[in-house]
Amino acid sequence: MEEIKTTVPKKRSFLDRFRKNPNKIRESVMDRVLNVLNIALLLFGVLITIFPLLNYFSLAFNDGYFNLDVVFYPVRPTLASFEYIFAGNGATDFWRAFGNSVFITVVITIVSNLVEAMAAYPLSKKDCPCRSGIMMFFIITMLFSAGIMPIYLLMLSFNLLNNIWSVILISISNVTHLLYFKTFFEGIPTDIEEAARLDGAGDLSLFFLIIVPMSLPIIGSCCFFTIVGTWNSYGSAMLFIPESSRGVPNMPLAYYIFYFMNKSVLDTTDSWLQPNIANVEAAMMFMSIVPIILMYPYVVKYIKSGLQIGSVKG
Amino acid sequence: MDHNLQLTETPAAEAAGAPEEQAAFPAVTKQKAEKKTGFWRDQGKRAKKYWKLLLFILPAAAFTLIFSYVPMFGVLFAFKGPEFDLTKADVMYNLTHGSWTLNNFLHIFDDPDVGKAIGNTLTINVIRLFLCFPLSILIAVMLSELKRQWVAKTVLIIITIPNFLSWAIVIGIWAGFLHPDTGILGRITGHIMANPYWFKPLVVFLSAWKGAGWGCILFYSAIMAIDKTYYESATLEGANKLQKMWYLTIPSIMPTIALMLVLNISGMMAVGFEQVWTMMKINADLFNSQMTLDTYLYNISIVNQDDIPYATALGVVNGAIALALMLIGNAITTKTLKRGLW
Repeated sequence: MEEIKTTVPKKRSFLDRFRKNPNKIRESVMDRVLNVLNIALLLFGVLITIFPLLNYFSLAFNDGYFNLDVVFYPVRPTLASFEYIFAGNGATDFWRAFGNSVFITVVITIVSNLVEAMAAYPLSKKDCPCRSGIMMFFIITMLFSAGIMPIYLLMLSFNLLNNIWSVILISISNVTHLLYFKTFFEGIPTDIEEAARLDGAGDLSLFFLIIVPMSLPIIGSCCFFTIVGTWNSYGSAMLFIPESSRGVPNMPLAYYIFYFMNKSVLDTTDSWLQPNIANVEAAMMFMSIVPIILMYPYVVKYIKSGLQIGSVKG
Repeated sequence: MDHNLQLTETPAAEAAGAPEEQAAFPAVTKQKAEKKTGFWRDQGKRAKKYWKLLLFILPAAAFTLIFSYVPMFGVLFAFKGPEFDLTKADVMYNLTHGSWTLNNFLHIFDDPDVGKAIGNTLTINVIRLFLCFPLSILIAVMLSELKRQWVAKTVLIIITIPNFLSWAIVIGIWAGFLHPDTGILGRITGHIMANPYWFKPLVVFLSAWKGAGWGCILFYSAIMAIDKTYYESATLEGANKLQKMWYLTIPSIMPTIALMLVLNISGMMAVGFEQVWTMMKINADLFNSQMTLDTYLYNISIVNQDDIPYATALGVVNGAIALALMLIGNAITTKTLKRGLW
């Protein structure tokens, strides 16, 4: 048989003698233009994200009389706004709101995730009695709600209006997290449980000493989402806590910032606050994102790990 | 040890049907026993084994029952007559006394505000569906085209920052940025945040600014899961970048796109109450012309409680439409993607 010659004589371009690796498959001009465009657009995206943040938060460290000159760093650096919310006239309300937010977030995160993980454990077993019925019981609440009026009236009859417990109680039930936990528990091999049972572990110790430590990744993710969601949301608080000075002692921080933003500047008799109100607002917002900034390393880890739950269960 | 392990009942064996009983009775009676072992007997036997574990469900069930199911019975308020008055008596008294009527539901059809609210809600959501949703996919594809992984991840981490800010902060930042006197951009554009014509575009823009980075993570991780050898062979076949994106990347992540699309369409009746309400606070004119269903409901239920039965009726109808959309979405995904929404 005749041997077929497969090597085609390569056409050498003039530029090839300057290239390190002339045999590599090179990108076409079109592809390189696309690359540049891609990088340019992403850079634009990063800038449009970063710039308003820098511009606004530099107000927090700036003197109110020089706000017009701020671009992305404080022109007249001062900590007066922070002084106002830490120790000045604004301190009482601000710290109370901060404390409310911390309390609400901690209670909801612990209770909600504990309760849902406990419920998910028996439901993760294939032969749990009435399994699909109980699941249906939970899932229906995800699909249908009768609106805000009945919830408001429920809290009214419990006498919990203008009370942070109404905000806490309404957020405990979280069926999405129940589903995440259930999916995760189903993946834990049953051999481990059987071995633990042979060693004399009861249901409670089995759950808390074997299952929970094995599910720390999913519990961590769910807790993280609960923390961020609770810290930043004020929609449920707006149902129960009135947007007036009567409601201020019970407001979570995000709600208080919203309230403070909308309070007319003319209301205040404080002569310092008048020109500095934008700076005080920025300082409050800056303080309110500090806990989120502290959690950001976790976000980075989460994003780097490739976001597993998201891709498993949309 | 091995012997012991075999004796313990495995869930699979139990689900197959009562191993002990099969061993204890001869073959003929076994069949009879199986016939008798109906659904409930089986459930009862499992309950005996699991009763301690079933107690684990109780706290979650209690919270769900009180704070999700009890309000569902609040549907009854929607059928109460006009003499419903919370200033005179408490909730239970009002519920058990007074007349029942269907007029609240009929009233929805001649309320001009409902039409306006639904129109605004759908407009904003359709624009969002056509702009924000493809934007997330586009960002994910663009990130995946970057040659260096660490650059892509750094960009991803930066553009997800706004997702972790509350709406009050996001709107505060942009209201400052677009302030007509002090804002850098606002000095050029004027007070567009108070302008009703700019309201809907700004709602969409701020949703994109806050959510697009976070929304793209899902698509990005789906793209990262695609086998790299496909790209290599496509390159050898002479495909350029655009062709690879269009014929390889997009079809590969189609299930994710379809799922998110259905989820988005299922949420068509809600815009995000916190965002719209906070943006409306900037100018009182926006309240009337730009109201969405959520803000209108909040207005008639919490801010001025003139007609509580009517507010309940509107909320119930809103919930029913949302339920219908969810069920349709679930039917579509189970049929096309072989998996439900939940």
